[in-house]
Amino acid sequence: MSDSGPISAEDPVSEGHDASSAETSVGSSPITPESTTDVAPTRRAKRRPEPKAAGEPQEAPKVEEQPAQTSTVSQGGWGYWGSWGKSILSTATATVATVGQGLTQVIEKAETTLGIPSPTELSAQVEQEQKEQGETSSGADAAAADGSAAVGGAMGMLTSLTSVVQSTGKTVITGSLDALEFIGKKTMDVIAEGDPGFKKTKGLMIRNSTLSQVLREAKQREEQQTAEKESESDKKVVAHYGMLFDEFQGLSHLEALEILSRESESKVKSVLTTLSGDEQLQLRGELQLIKDSFSLVEFDDEEVDEKKDGDGSEFERELTEALKGLSVTSTAEKLNKACKSTCSQITDMTQPEGEDGDETTERASVEEVHAAAIRSLAELTARSIELFHKLAERILFSSCSAEAKVLSQLTVILCKEISLLSKKFTSCLTTAGANEKGEVLNPLITGVFLEASNSASYIQDAFQLLMPILEISHIQQRAESSEQ
Amino acid sequence: MAYAYLFKYIIIGDTGVGKSCLLLQFTDKRFQPVHDLTIGVEFGARMITIDGKQIKLQIWDTAGQESFRSITRSYYRGAAGALLVYDITRRDTFNHLTTWLEDARQHSNSNMVIMLIGNKSDLESRREVKKEEGEAFAREHGLIFMETSAKTASNVEEAFINTAKEIYEKIQEGVFDINNEANGIKIGPQHPTTNSTLSGSQGGQHAGGGCC
Repeated sequence: MSDSGPISAEDPVSEGHDASSAETSVGSSPITPESTTDVAPTRRAKRRPEPKAAGEPQEAPKVEEQPAQTSTVSQGGWGYWGSWGKSILSTATATVATVGQGLTQVIEKAETTLGIPSPTELSAQVEQEQKEQGETSSGADAAAADGSAAVGGAMGMLTSLTSVVQSTGKTVITGSLDALEFIGKKTMDVIAEGDPGFKKTKGLMIRNSTLSQVLREAKQREEQQTAEKESESDKKVVAHYGMLFDEFQGLSHLEALEILSRESESKVKSVLTTLSGDEQLQLRGELQLIKDSFSLVEFDDEEVDEKKDGDGSEFERELTEALKGLSVTSTAEKLNKACKSTCSQITDMTQPEGEDGDETTERASVEEVHAAAIRSLAELTARSIELFHKLAERILFSSCSAEAKVLSQLTVILCKEISLLSKKFTSCLTTAGANEKGEVLNPLITGVFLEASNSASYIQDAFQLLMPILEISHIQQRAESSEQ
Repeated sequence: MAYAYLFKYIIIGDTGVGKSCLLLQFTDKRFQPVHDLTIGVEFGARMITIDGKQIKLQIWDTAGQESFRSITRSYYRGAAGALLVYDITRRDTFNHLTTWLEDARQHSNSNMVIMLIGNKSDLESRREVKKEEGEAFAREHGLIFMETSAKTASNVEEAFINTAKEIYEKIQEGVFDINNEANGIKIGPQHPTTNSTLSGSQGGQHAGGGCC
């Protein structure tokens, strides 16, 4: 992280003075000086950290960085991007406001909501639009193609979620303008002020739609499916992650956390604009340290040992340790309770049955195990997000000052627990479904892993939402200490 | 589970007037005399029926403490309805209504339906604010008014439901643009036939998720 200084100095918010350095990066691309000022520095500032990121061990959640990096190579495209993006921006933003009305927060703050589309979504969309309109730039094309290649392998089983994102876009935005809106989003990415949260946002919840929006729409789809199926399959045990997540108030907490995060983010930005020269530089440096802590979350799925922590007490111990002094005990208790009940459920289900026991009645069916797994994952995730939301409120209320390191530690603990429980549940499933056919059992196991992986993404994204909150809290504390 | 509309509500008012108790009575039909101080915001949800339509109320129960005000204000936005609560046994909570109202109007959309609630109507002997005063305040500011008791459940259902009725009427009149989620209204999941565009990806979801 030794090069954090230069990055912060060239953060996209600072406008004009980046132009010269940007020109060196862009080289002889045929763009007007005007658009260089507006476009290239942003792009450059955003690209800057990528090579560093590439040096780190790459994990699936980080893949969205790669397309940007790849596109660095295809410099020919930049000129095109620059002028084209600029001319279309105003139209695009206006379009967003009118067309994308179904999108949750778009209307309120188009700027903060629009973000980098997920590479897979991007490539799919871009390819599609190319077919339809043949208008997409070669630069974007190359980037998108590379993006999908980079993503393909790493995303693996997450692809079905991406299709959620895609279909979401498709259903919400109708008419031929959706292409324009999409282009608008990408353009916003190129031009808009950099949101450092993007570059490390994990998983698939890229902020072209907000996290709660994706979840909400997933839930709606599930509700719809339920409505369709109600008549035909009442008896079947069906577990809908999104609906359960909402039932545990996960969506509401997430929405509230997003509100706080967005407001803090714009406050940080406005504070930065009021500062000048050295002051601004210094604050940027300090904020960069916070940002760095947010990008350091490393979580190795392989390390999770499913043998340990049979009753959830170790989780409780770790959680309590991490939350020491953060005054969110009641929320943490809810989480602990959820975890413990999950653990005891698993214990019950794995209990060896008596020899004379009639398996069909005694042992939990695979559907029941699956339903319990999905329910538990949804509850734990909802509670985790509630915890982050409460932490955010506490931090803003300045009744506690949490360090980013502590919060990232907390994220790791939560994700580990999710992973641990999903492993336990799947071995439960394997035992319960020993006599089932593969085509019955495998989708259930995949389902549990998929939702576990989604859960971890949601938790990590909720963690990222805390970043602007820590930043503004830092700024407040700074102001207080300088007053004294 | 399916609902035609979802309305976002906020409950606001001084600390200790019984906001969380009203919510608990409405969602769980029980009363808890001692309640933890609300930090920031808490949530509740319940389904109601209006005009034969299922409506889901998503309720944001905000902290009343002054010190939380800057945080809770952020949550006002995007609410379709607000319950502004005072305590009929504490004059000061009534006196603060103007501030609350200004705050609410400033930080939410202009069409938001506001229900003024004088809570603790069971404590008649300790009453400090006359019912007529509440009515007058409501009239003056264009609010709906009700006296409730979270303890005896008197008028609690009515308070939440009448607010929803008002919102529903506004939708019928076209005052609310239901496609603009900033208004705090969401349309529930559509029924099958209308959504042919979804079916393709839904199939994919089934296979991938394996949960259906």
